[in-house]
Amino acid sequence: MNALKPLPAKASIIIVGAGIQGLSLAFNLSELGVRDILVLDAGYWQGGASGRNGTLIRGAFSSPEWTRFFAHSCELWQGLSKRLGQNVMYSRRGYTMVGERSATAELLDRTLAVHKECGIHSSLLTPGQLREVLPALAHGRVSAALHLPDSGVAPHHAAMHAYRQACEARGVSIHYRTPVTAIDQSAGRIGGVRVGDQRIASDTLVLAGGAESNALAQMAGVPLDGYPMRLEAMALEPTRPLIGPAVALLDRLCYMHQTARGEVVGGAEVAERPQHTLNADVPVMAATARAYLEMFPQLGHARILRQWAGLVHISKDFGPLLGAHHALPGLFVSAGWCYGHAGAPAAGELLAKAIVSGQVDERMRPFAVDRFERNQPVVEPGIVLSHFE
Amino acid sequence: MSRINLRLGHASSEVIEFFWNGRPVQGRQGESLATALLANGIKVLAWTRKSHRPLGYSGNYVSGVLARVDGVPNVRLDLFPVAAGVRVEMQNCWPNPAFDVLRLSRLIPSSWIQGGFEHTNLVPSGTALFQRWEAILAFLAGSAKPATSTGEVAVPPARRLSADHLVIGGGPAGCAAANEAAAQGLDVVLVTRGHGLARYAHAAGQARPALDERVTLVTGVEVFGAYREGELLLGAPHDPRQGALALEAETIVLATGRRPCPPVIPGMWLPGVIEARTALIMASEQAVAPGERVVVVGNGDQEALASRLRQLGVNVVAARPVGDLRRVAGRSRVNAAYFAERIACDALVHSGPWLAEASLTFQSRAEGLLQLREQHPCRWQVVGSASEHDQPLPVATSSSHHALLCPCFDVSSHEVQALIEQGITDLEVIKRLTSCGMGPCQGQPCWDSLRALVSARSGIALELLARPTLRPPRRALSVAQAAGLADVVEPLQ
Repeated sequence: MNALKPLPAKASIIIVGAGIQGLSLAFNLSELGVRDILVLDAGYWQGGASGRNGTLIRGAFSSPEWTRFFAHSCELWQGLSKRLGQNVMYSRRGYTMVGERSATAELLDRTLAVHKECGIHSSLLTPGQLREVLPALAHGRVSAALHLPDSGVAPHHAAMHAYRQACEARGVSIHYRTPVTAIDQSAGRIGGVRVGDQRIASDTLVLAGGAESNALAQMAGVPLDGYPMRLEAMALEPTRPLIGPAVALLDRLCYMHQTARGEVVGGAEVAERPQHTLNADVPVMAATARAYLEMFPQLGHARILRQWAGLVHISKDFGPLLGAHHALPGLFVSAGWCYGHAGAPAAGELLAKAIVSGQVDERMRPFAVDRFERNQPVVEPGIVLSHFE
Repeated sequence: MSRINLRLGHASSEVIEFFWNGRPVQGRQGESLATALLANGIKVLAWTRKSHRPLGYSGNYVSGVLARVDGVPNVRLDLFPVAAGVRVEMQNCWPNPAFDVLRLSRLIPSSWIQGGFEHTNLVPSGTALFQRWEAILAFLAGSAKPATSTGEVAVPPARRLSADHLVIGGGPAGCAAANEAAAQGLDVVLVTRGHGLARYAHAAGQARPALDERVTLVTGVEVFGAYREGELLLGAPHDPRQGALALEAETIVLATGRRPCPPVIPGMWLPGVIEARTALIMASEQAVAPGERVVVVGNGDQEALASRLRQLGVNVVAARPVGDLRRVAGRSRVNAAYFAERIACDALVHSGPWLAEASLTFQSRAEGLLQLREQHPCRWQVVGSASEHDQPLPVATSSSHHALLCPCFDVSSHEVQALIEQGITDLEVIKRLTSCGMGPCQGQPCWDSLRALVSARSGIALELLARPTLRPPRRALSVAQAAGLADVVEPLQ
């Protein structure tokens, strides 16, 4: 949108990637008093995963590490409209995790115990309560359901718009359609970036490039875990409200919600070789359709409006890679996001603090960039994703 | 209402009774529900989402023919043949179509709901009010009620179809391409969305082409998307009880033709405005006139169209170049077309500017890099009028709330102009800010209108404005049909 704006010769911090992670970080840095922040993005506004995700905000998982981090983010989402001065349309409509197999019911029991330990408000629904929360569900197929009343959804366009406006109002310089072509080092630390012929000096660089994270790390000459992976979603033709909360069908690796416009938006995962493409394919659409048809029979006749793909950066344990990069002073990373929309407010806040003060918050520490080298992955059994075996 | 009769001399005499909003309506054998309603003088079939503006059978905007049929929402009335006792109900009404309180939303000034109810700043989230506010908006800006609960819908089994030569489109160019390949001894499949061959050509007065009997003909199937670098195409029968098709072929020939696109001027969304292909096929096959007093506009072909319609018995009162049309006026339907002078009419048939049927040509040209990569050798051939250049779209010199680019979401040229004035000319960004083209039509033809408008106002050449990515299946496929595809398409390993 603003590719023609001239680029500065230097910046105090350069963030590569103007998706929701980059913008949330820029906003939080500016709130901590950092000036001359430059955000560069190769694509267009909302062209990456920040404009293609399922918009769900899930505030608790099955491991204490994920739960503490995302519960904090969910809390920030609730006050985000006020903080940014723009409506992010966070809809606190709840998030229901539905299990069908008995093993999944046991996982939800253990999950509830983790939530209690972390002080999260959640509950296992009785069949009667589930009927009230999700009347359209095929209740005969359900073994257990765990409900998170504080979670919900927030449309990505609203959040991206609000973050962008708030950043620009605070003097953050955001450049779309401006690909970084090289990353410079000087005296053993970050020296700046190049955009074509132009050099921009900075001693601090943050990689928040989503699916391009590995390519960017390579440009900086440092190792980074993870690989790009395609996720797909689809939208059905709008109807009046049928499905209240956001829903995760854990046994089908399927998630969905009904937007304020009335479209049912969601996707399911299928076991396939990871694809580095934005082209959508047939199996995910078929699997999602089957999940809808069996779990919400009233959707069986509905027509599919569109289907699309987005790319995420997946780490070995699916968790974010967040914090200083151990191999190069001045380099920070916010990558590995597959729940990046939900996690952005917390990630921006905690990473900004780490950059400015050097203090690593306890909620962020488990997701350190070098955790696999230290053999300390974070095991999270309650996510709707899988690696291709 | 019943005094109006738009049936022409060659209409069938076999009467079939069905119900519109609970009242009996008489259709004739061979008519679609949309045609039968029009023949009875019922022009308003649906309402736009936010401003509750009336929509009808246009051939351009699919949202104008969506209604609830026997408890199933969003059924296309133009593809549903009249059947005895079928209950058709209007959607987006409350409490009922006869006494519809939602009609009051027409009184809301258009500028208040620019960007959509869902983009509102009135009640910020995080407040206790927001949840209720959102529920009210979802209802007000609502569309169809969900389907009546009748248990799990049966999954129609999908099937795979392979051929040496796959021709998509059953017009004269498609038939010629299929015949030529069959004569060479190739295994040829021709897929057409029509229930017969060359319907438009025949309606326009040409002889129906003969198809070589060695060609396998598949009718009533919309081929809506190409996947896996063009290795796999998907088609869906209009009849939701039939399974989807996965198609593979050595050579793919697109003979998908062209369609007339409405110029970007006020009133082109009004009930009574109808594109030429739809109007001709309706008058010829179903013997129903588009109106009692019809004005024809075209891109040089208006006289030919007018004389063909007159031959079929339609009362055409004027035929003019489309570039001379300034606006179309009316409140709940067309009542006049304005050129240098006003011409009273109850229907406007527009023929041109003609644009290629974008759905598959978009993919064959690898525009937006949706399903095919540019560097990938393309095995697609485009034949017939689909291969001709798109004609430029006339754009009114001033923008207006009454010139809707996207009737599904009430996006007007005025709203887009405001964004252009802020320096926003990226069509993908405009799409995300306004929801333009995200409704049932999925950008056809809204994104052509949007592109023409942005080019006209910003001075950016049309070729430099990439069209937003067309994302299949564009409502061609139902959830049940899609579920069946799992059995015939394996994930990539």
